[in-house]
Amino acid sequence: MKKRQFCIERFKNRVVVDSNYAEKTWKILEDAIHDIYNHNACDPTFDELSRNAYNMVLHRFGEKLYTGLEKTMTSHLKQISQSIESAQGESFLEELNRKWVDHNKALGKIRDILMYMDRTFVPSNHKTPVHELGMNLWRDVVIHSNKTKTRLRDTLLDLVLRERNGEVISRGLMRNLLKMLMDLGSSVYQKDFEDRFLEASEIFYSCESEKFIKSCDCEDYLKKVESCLNIEKERASHYLDSSSESKIISVVEKKMIENHRHTLIDMNKSVLVNMLRGDKYEDLERMFNMFRRVHSGLTIIKDVMTSFIRDTGKQLIMDPERLKNPVDFVQCLLVLKDKYDKVITLAFANDKSFQNALNSAFEYFINLSARSPEFISLFVDDKLRREIKGVGEEDVETVLDKVMMLFRYLQEKDVFEKYYKQHLAKRLLSWKTVSDEAERSLIFKLKTECGYQFTSKLEDSPTLSVQVLTTGSWPTQPSPQCNLPSEIRGLCEKFRNYYLGSHSGRRLTWQANMGNADLKATFGKGQKHELNVSTYQMCVLMLFNNADRMTCKEIEQATAIPMSDLKRCLQSLALVKGKNVLRKELMSKDISEDDVFFFNEKFTSKLFKVKIGTVVAQRETEPENIETRQRVEEERKPQIETAIVRVMKSRRVLEHNNVIAEVTKQLQARFLPNPVVIKKQIESLIEREFLERDKVDRELYRYLA
Amino acid sequence: MRRAASKKTGQSNSNPSAADLFRSASSKANSKELERIDSLFYSYANGSSGLIDPEGIEALCADMEVDHTDLRILMLAWKMKSEEQGYFTVDEWRRGLKALRADTVSKLKKALPDLEKEVRRPSNFSDFYSYAFQYCLTEEKQKSIDIESICELLSLVLGSTFPAQVSLFVEYLKNQNDYKVVNMDQWMGFFRFCNEISFPSLSDYDPELAWPLILDNFVEWLREKKKI
Repeated sequence: MKKRQFCIERFKNRVVVDSNYAEKTWKILEDAIHDIYNHNACDPTFDELSRNAYNMVLHRFGEKLYTGLEKTMTSHLKQISQSIESAQGESFLEELNRKWVDHNKALGKIRDILMYMDRTFVPSNHKTPVHELGMNLWRDVVIHSNKTKTRLRDTLLDLVLRERNGEVISRGLMRNLLKMLMDLGSSVYQKDFEDRFLEASEIFYSCESEKFIKSCDCEDYLKKVESCLNIEKERASHYLDSSSESKIISVVEKKMIENHRHTLIDMNKSVLVNMLRGDKYEDLERMFNMFRRVHSGLTIIKDVMTSFIRDTGKQLIMDPERLKNPVDFVQCLLVLKDKYDKVITLAFANDKSFQNALNSAFEYFINLSARSPEFISLFVDDKLRREIKGVGEEDVETVLDKVMMLFRYLQEKDVFEKYYKQHLAKRLLSWKTVSDEAERSLIFKLKTECGYQFTSKLEDSPTLSVQVLTTGSWPTQPSPQCNLPSEIRGLCEKFRNYYLGSHSGRRLTWQANMGNADLKATFGKGQKHELNVSTYQMCVLMLFNNADRMTCKEIEQATAIPMSDLKRCLQSLALVKGKNVLRKELMSKDISEDDVFFFNEKFTSKLFKVKIGTVVAQRETEPENIETRQRVEEERKPQIETAIVRVMKSRRVLEHNNVIAEVTKQLQARFLPNPVVIKKQIESLIEREFLERDKVDRELYRYLA
Repeated sequence: MRRAASKKTGQSNSNPSAADLFRSASSKANSKELERIDSLFYSYANGSSGLIDPEGIEALCADMEVDHTDLRILMLAWKMKSEEQGYFTVDEWRRGLKALRADTVSKLKKALPDLEKEVRRPSNFSDFYSYAFQYCLTEEKQKSIDIESICELLSLVLGSTFPAQVSLFVEYLKNQNDYKVVNMDQWMGFFRFCNEISFPSLSDYDPELAWPLILDNFVEWLREKKKI
């Protein structure tokens, strides 16, 4: 058996090779290349040419073929180069473009013909593939010819400049040529065009910016910058390579904004303020977008905005006229906040740092006035009292949410709580709330915010004239006792006995400052009316059963009602139109202690039942204010002390500064403790031997178990 | 050999072995001394109470030719570790005089200058200073002393060492209304103040540190005063 070896059989049709063969075949191909370049029709068909090329490679004449190709192509390109070089003026670029298109077409055809060589001979001999060869030759022979190189670049740049100056240029031509450079390699694109393009742009925009910054005002300059950016963007998308877009944009930014940052800022400060004042959202947005591009540009805008808000707020808070009407004042605050919320949303892209700046500005100026907590509570009171028809639940909710936002800015939240409780109690007991729902909603919001025992229950009160309020669930207030008329006293005693009889172990205190009474009164001409009055008012009126005239002072002595409350009471009885059951001798608006009061015989009313309202929660007078504040200060002391003990108990040993810091942190949800008061409490604790100073380090405190 | 560390009681530093010798050899002399100390005590003591009372102290002072308000009497009390102001018990008397090696009035008088030196030693003075305050707490559970007495005590105890600070602080105390009494912490704070803060510049005083509040107020008062 013959062993068969597996081998590749040689090509069967062995063609006889002779030295002329190569030469002849090459001549055919060479002519073909000429024809292609000269746009002549080729005599041999594509198939024939292709086969010839194939044969050459097959018979090991690939080298000759390749070299020949190179030479031929080169000589053609040289001719082309010359013709381009000699093109005049405008036609230079057009000629270049035309020849480039031709070259590409020719190259395509040549490559197709030489495809076999491209796929076999080329790789195995590490030659440059045909297409690439074509590109390289084009680059080296045509583009980088001495004359063409600079001329091309300069011409392109010149066109750009002309377009920048307003002329219309051939964008298509630009696009093609720049694409050509890109096709030749991105480094060619960069070296032969982009680098110089960017340089020239820098110079251009430096000049532009100088020109405009001198002649324009701020708003116009920004508009100009915006338009330049748009133009360049558009140009880039039309004929530059996409990689150039971001580069040219940053050139514009740098030259037009960054380099003039300081000038712009100075220009901008007053302009910005005017924009803010006038709600110029578009201008603000433009400025925002401009400055965004620049390092720390936004900080500048933010700072200007912050200090403007602070100043506006400060003026508002210090304005004595405003402060006379607290509700109005708080309304202004809300308006101010709304305004800036809008600015930040519409012009400043809802930027978080701007929102924070707004918040801190508000926090700053709201706490400049010690009366802010009181005023905000009065505002709430006003809103919750008003029986405004047609105001839906929703609107009340929105208002309350806004109030919560102001509440968050307050440092002295405990002071607010105090006033809130006072006002709430008055509202509830005189049935003057818009809705229980609204009250509950606000309480819930406050509780959520502080986690504190803001008032809890709203009890459905019975129609008894006595409301027994458990101290736990109602805001307690010191209840100034007053002298009840004897008729009432008897009844009160009876009630007390009854109540304590059935609920032993409790204490009953009459809250005389909040109560109601229905009095039957007969006036001069026999008119009978039923008057619905408060306890205090009742006490005052009953006095006139036994006297015709009394001075304010006398009334005070008889009823023991605190003077400030009494004055308000008398106001409501004597000075309110339609409700003046008493008459004051002097027709002045204020009540002085010597004023004389008479029972008003001439009182008339269309209604049988007359409700004499209590004068609404007033702004506190100066002395009341001081008193409330003192109470708050007093209440803070034990809180501070508890906080100190808590801190020291857990830390055992702690330095003075750290104690202050920890205690402040613990209390900051309620109020900002005064370090001096903290120090005082520490000393008190040292005296009472809860703490001691360390013997060696005097800044250290130690907890004594 | 470790030294016996008992500077406060004034016992002399000596080798234990030497002390033994001393004691054994002079035990007779010792008991004689003790006898004399005791009899000196009873010459001044009040018959019924068995203590030297204020009258007795006055008599003692007269014999020593020292004013009974003199600081050295306070120093003597300190040496005795006397607890009650104006009274000396027999134990306290013994403790003090034994430490001073005095069994007669004249010896006691002669011991006073050395006693003063000993008290003024920085290591002792702080202790003496705090003792002075405690000594004046006469009532049980009393923790603080009224302003008037504090001013006197301060002048007595610190007047010679820190005259400027003391006189100004006394003036401040008399003029202010915030404090009616001064407690131990504040008393000691003032001593620290005199020792640590440069006077009259006050440049290194920082109210944000743990200085007692009364001193913060004092410094503020001083600074206001300077402006005028």
